[in-house]
Amino acid sequence: MSTERAYKRFTISDRIEHWSEMLAFLTLGTTGLIQRYAKWPISLKIMEGLGGIDRVRLIHHSAAVLLMLAVIYHIGAAGYKYYVKRTPIKMLPNLRDVTNAWGWVLYNLGKRDRHPQEDRFTFGEKLEYWAFVWGTIVMGLTGFALWNPLATSRLLPGVVIPAAKLAHSLEAVLAVLAIIIWHFYNVHIKMLNKSMFTGKMSEEDMLHEHPLELADIKAGVHLPIPDPEGEKKRLRIFLPVYFVAAAVMLAGVYFFIAGENTALATVPPATDIEIFVPLTPTPFPTAAPTPTSAPILSVTWDGGVGELFNTKCGTCHNASAMLGGLDLTSYQSALTGGKSGPVVVPGDPDNSPVIIRQEAGNHPGQLSPEDIDILREWISTGALEK
Amino acid sequence: MKVKLLSQLCIGALIAAAVCFSFIGSAAAQPLASHEAEPGIADETCLECHDVPGLTTTLPSGEEIYISVDRVMHTVSIHGRNGYACVQCHRDIDGYPHREIPVQTAREYTVYQNQSCAYCHPGAAEANRAGAHQIFREAGILEAAVCSDCHGSHNVDSLTPPRSNIPKTCERCHSEIFNEYKDSVHGAALIGEGNPDVPDCSTCHGNHDIKGPNSSDAFRLYSPLICAECHANEALMEKYDISTHVFDTYVSDFHGTTVTVFEKISPDQETNKPVCIDCHGVHNMKKHDDPESQVMKDNLLKTCQKCHPDASQNFPNSWLGHYEPSLDKYPLLYFVNLFYFIVIPVTIGGMILFVLLDAQHRIRKKISKNKSAEVKS
Repeated sequence: MSTERAYKRFTISDRIEHWSEMLAFLTLGTTGLIQRYAKWPISLKIMEGLGGIDRVRLIHHSAAVLLMLAVIYHIGAAGYKYYVKRTPIKMLPNLRDVTNAWGWVLYNLGKRDRHPQEDRFTFGEKLEYWAFVWGTIVMGLTGFALWNPLATSRLLPGVVIPAAKLAHSLEAVLAVLAIIIWHFYNVHIKMLNKSMFTGKMSEEDMLHEHPLELADIKAGVHLPIPDPEGEKKRLRIFLPVYFVAAAVMLAGVYFFIAGENTALATVPPATDIEIFVPLTPTPFPTAAPTPTSAPILSVTWDGGVGELFNTKCGTCHNASAMLGGLDLTSYQSALTGGKSGPVVVPGDPDNSPVIIRQEAGNHPGQLSPEDIDILREWISTGALEK
Repeated sequence: MKVKLLSQLCIGALIAAAVCFSFIGSAAAQPLASHEAEPGIADETCLECHDVPGLTTTLPSGEEIYISVDRVMHTVSIHGRNGYACVQCHRDIDGYPHREIPVQTAREYTVYQNQSCAYCHPGAAEANRAGAHQIFREAGILEAAVCSDCHGSHNVDSLTPPRSNIPKTCERCHSEIFNEYKDSVHGAALIGEGNPDVPDCSTCHGNHDIKGPNSSDAFRLYSPLICAECHANEALMEKYDISTHVFDTYVSDFHGTTVTVFEKISPDQETNKPVCIDCHGVHNMKKHDDPESQVMKDNLLKTCQKCHPDASQNFPNSWLGHYEPSLDKYPLLYFVNLFYFIVIPVTIGGMILFVLLDAQHRIRKKISKNKSAEVKS
């Protein structure tokens, strides 16, 4: 049927508008529903794929801005078409839409032989258009409250914000379901309506879908009587009015996006308490005063060296403990030495293990340098008993 | 011989009783690795010197430490009761003079000596590896607790009741946090009343694999799940007439949803959305009607302003206080819900009916068209 006539249905401007809105809607729907159903594994998968929930929100917000811009454009396009061009407004709902809807039901039930005759927009298309208008208003207002909760709660009670979230979320479910059922069935399943791609509709499809419009076109009464003078006049009024309105609306969009900085980017620490604050530790008791060594009267065992050994070494090296086999509490045993032989070599302090060990340091019961000097002197003078 | 057997039985019974009295999941329940078969040096050899009271030695840092051992203290400790020898912990001792130890300070010695614990307690040692104390110690903060700081050294023992001993153990190093905790709704119940239902430190932070917001970025993100363990438990919460919806309502709110998603897909994420402790307080959390509570109505705006500095008087009311909206509580949300509860099924149901009617009519028409085409041919 390539020879069949086709009728213009959508201008390029209509089509650009439709595709931007579709892109915005699909993006908003996807990124929004995965937030509503954030616990679902599929939602988490998508969120992961998109780069996390913060990114998802950024995409959602960007798509919202796209939709807002499309709406501003739509208002301009509609104003131009209906005010400047005086194209008849066929999108307004009327009683015929109700009777047509009922007529379709009866026809589909087989109670009527002829289906209702639709004009440029079927009742189903009008339903969808006005549902989209309603949805966009609801989503825009509630979305504003969610995006700008501080500004919202300055004007309205705080409870409006969770209510807006609930409405935003439920309206989304309604909108997405409606698109899936109504739009997909009517435009893609019932018949593949390509007019949004090509801008045209075949005569056969027109006859089925829009017979009244087809009749008007054939009769040549679908367009208003051309009125170039009036159009020019109206355009001179329309353009400044729209530019001001668009500027106000764009300012609104800017306020929507950048109106407030809701929260700090980083949460202050939940607590700033000092972590390590030990209880005052039990102080190390000052060492018991060591008895002052008996003064060395002469450098012999009995003259004081024996007493030095007894007090400083006798704790371990005594007759019963004999640590290392060594008993330093009596002259005889001190000179005998321990397991590894004598510890005192009379006359040769440098080779006496007791000096070597003590000078190496860090021996439990470490002698002071003064004490070691006394021992050295004692050994070099022959390590005498008396 | 018989006497020895009898005394071993007695000790065994004592230990069994101690284990029974110790708490579920407590730190004591680590399996022991096979211990050294043959201690090289008898305890008595060590005690020949170290039994002397007041024996000290000076470390290279100039600090003086005691090197005496209280024989009785060790004998009644869990190691003493089980007959462990000195050299099973003091593993570097193989005679006298002792080997040089590569430490300068008393704290370094404590850390050094605690390496021995892992030989018999590998499970706890392994758990420690992921714990905050070990992480910070390895980063050079030697004060971070080692085994003996909590369990004791010569007086080591398993955890003994009452459970308030746990916070009191942590208090030794974390006294400021303890002071907040003891006045909190949880701490006052545990320490004051001995209430077994409230968390002690280890309930939230764990024991060996101890963690906190400073040792693990994930801790803050996961912390609501810790709170939920008790606060979503109906049997437990019923006793105190506390709602178990606190967790669900948090998760379904904007803050909670975000945190839950981060938990699942990017656990190390730092987020600016609050978790339970950000509003309720950390160690000092109070009952919601306590005048000092951060979530008390009069204090709520200030709490919100921690993250929302420009929040005004109405703003805190945007938080539903963990309530499910109902006709009495938040009727606006109730009506929004009701509106869509009616509008969604009616609209979508109507659309489905209309679509089905249309589809069946088209299919029927197509079939009859095909049939008439067949008849014609």
